[in-house]
Amino acid sequence: MKMSPEYVKAQANMQAGVITSDGFLGDDHRNITDIIEQDEELMTSVGLDWDEVVSRMRHLMKEGRKGLGEPVTVEGKWIVQVSEARGFLASPFEDGIYRKVNAEVQLAAEGKPTGDRLYFSELSLHLLEKHHFLQGHGSPFRLEPVVIRKVLDY
Amino acid sequence: MDLAFFIAPLAVSGISAALAAVISISDKILNNYGDVEININKGKKSVTVKGGAPLLMTLSEQGIFIPSACGGRGSCGACKVKVDSDIGPHLPTETPYLTKAELAQNMHLACQVKLKAGIDIDIPESLFNVRQYEGLVEKIVDVTHDIKEVLIKLPEGASVSFTSGQYGQIEVPSYDKIKEPTQRAYSMSSAAGKKGYLEFLVRLVPGGIVTSYVHQYLKEGQTMRVIAPFGEFMVRDTDATMVCVAGGSGMAPFKSIFQDRIDRGVMDERDIWYFFGARTKKDLFYLDWLEELQSSYKRFHFVAALSEPQPEDEWSGETGLITDVLGKYLTETMPKGDVREGYLCGSPGMLDACMNVMRKFGMTDDKIFFDKFA
Amino acid sequence: MNAAPAIAPLTLLFASIFTSNILLANFLGMCSFIAISKDMNSSNGLGMAVTVVLVITAAINWLVLHYILVPLGLEFLQYIVFIMVIAAAVQILEMVIDRVSQSLYMTLGIFLPLITVNCAVLGVVLFMQIRNYTFVQALTFGLGSGLGWWLAIMLLAAMRRKIDKAPVPAGLQGPGITMITIGMMAMAFIGFSGMLKVQ
Repeated sequence: MKMSPEYVKAQANMQAGVITSDGFLGDDHRNITDIIEQDEELMTSVGLDWDEVVSRMRHLMKEGRKGLGEPVTVEGKWIVQVSEARGFLASPFEDGIYRKVNAEVQLAAEGKPTGDRLYFSELSLHLLEKHHFLQGHGSPFRLEPVVIRKVLDY
Repeated sequence: MDLAFFIAPLAVSGISAALAAVISISDKILNNYGDVEININKGKKSVTVKGGAPLLMTLSEQGIFIPSACGGRGSCGACKVKVDSDIGPHLPTETPYLTKAELAQNMHLACQVKLKAGIDIDIPESLFNVRQYEGLVEKIVDVTHDIKEVLIKLPEGASVSFTSGQYGQIEVPSYDKIKEPTQRAYSMSSAAGKKGYLEFLVRLVPGGIVTSYVHQYLKEGQTMRVIAPFGEFMVRDTDATMVCVAGGSGMAPFKSIFQDRIDRGVMDERDIWYFFGARTKKDLFYLDWLEELQSSYKRFHFVAALSEPQPEDEWSGETGLITDVLGKYLTETMPKGDVREGYLCGSPGMLDACMNVMRKFGMTDDKIFFDKFA
Repeated sequence: MNAAPAIAPLTLLFASIFTSNILLANFLGMCSFIAISKDMNSSNGLGMAVTVVLVITAAINWLVLHYILVPLGLEFLQYIVFIMVIAAAVQILEMVIDRVSQSLYMTLGIFLPLITVNCAVLGVVLFMQIRNYTFVQALTFGLGSGLGWWLAIMLLAAMRRKIDKAPVPAGLQGPGITMITIGMMAMAFIGFSGMLKVQ
């Protein structure tokens, strides 16, 4: 399907080496509109609400930042570790710039992190919230709806 | 044979050729902006250049360097300049990076301003001091598992006159999947007095374009382009106690600042407390040098804090988050009643947290300084 | 060849704006019409651009048709040649707009080169050929069609601004209500039919 010019530009910006070293598409060569469409169906089939997910992830990142790079236990359920680097990353949709803040979330079992990990950044949160974009398969910041559901404990 | 077989293709080719010629001529006329004059700081400096290119590139060709963290691709928002003449409305590529106040002041992104006619701009005076250097990488040293110290020799006779605390932009060439050269900003860790050299501390950021190159590909003997000096992070010339806090590669400007004070012989003139936060012992570096400073200079105090010391570290120093250790010292250990200035260098989260602690214990915002390019 | 219709150029001008509006009566040029009418400023800019392209291409294509294609018996090449001229004209127009107003250039984005395949442009040129207009008639027809297209897109843009604030049922929001609106505009313009002739 033909993409509108904004999406064509965004797809070009998502290639490896333009904004980030690995890019946002991983090994996925489909159009981002197709990726978004499929992910929207996946999220519905897994029973997740986009806004709910974004707000929970944002809350976890906020609590995690208080650790200044150290793991933090949030609400006794999750272990969050937030790392930061200086500088900014531009959104591939050219709608803002975001600090380089990366959060790693895992479920806590007896105080230790277990199971799958959810890895996201301020920028990937923005892409999730405003564009329903979970990134291409193979991207280091790809968010799988199944994993989201498991780790965020829905 | 029907003559049309010959005439038709000829006619079509003839018409296309004529159209192509017209387009070509129009291109030369319309895209030729002729010479335009850039008037800087109300006549302080004026250059006449060929129009048509973005302001950022044109200025750098003229030896005037506006800070840019993304090399002019319109993705960092660092190249803001104030435009005093009328160049039309802001482009959709500029508006995400400009606040309402900046839009009202007619600030533009220099990389998005296309030079079509004469333009008047206003830039900070300090930018006139910025130069571009094609340096040579003389030494690369691993100071920790993820931080490299890079020493760059400047060309013969070249030197950078900067104040300790300022930063430079280093450029790495295209490599692997990265198709274009990329520039990023790093604080200079060499003292201002070390002529002919610039040193930087580069910490590996996973997925980072420049840091990955420096850690995986950069070799001694390679050339490296540096543009310096930029920034307003520097020691204020007062008698106040300096409360310095850094994490990881945030040590860089402080290494420069302390060495500079030693070189100028003024290390004993102020109380300096330097707090360095890290996770485990392997993340600490320059320990010997800093401990030596502490024993040589009565008024210099060094406090390292580990947040997650491992048993094998056998750590007997402070433990806990750097903010907690800072708070403890501000209230209990440091002499009371003195005026304190805060100097911070680290990630945004750390800066915010430390500023909160400093404010809580009586330090005022106008006396807390940090590097804004982060 | 048949003779040119005996219509005064001025009549033709008004006829092509109102009675035979290229957009609302002939339904040519719809894609950018629907896409760009979201914003009034870009509608204005695009309307102007389409008008300029129409006048230029009507003129040049008339000359090419009557002085190159017909004398050489190459009328069968008209589709190819007309499109080439349209493409070249749009290229030049793009350069002019970029020079004169970069913000308009950026706002129109991909819709500027899309004027090349805007069926209104090729449609006008082919009407001119089928109806055997004289040069002056071709020029006024091109100008009128352009003005008519500009008028239609400005009207739709103005209406969409109002509709945006109205409580449209969920299923009809966006394309649905826009199509219905265009249909109603077309019906309104039928009120003009029969007043003036285009052929």
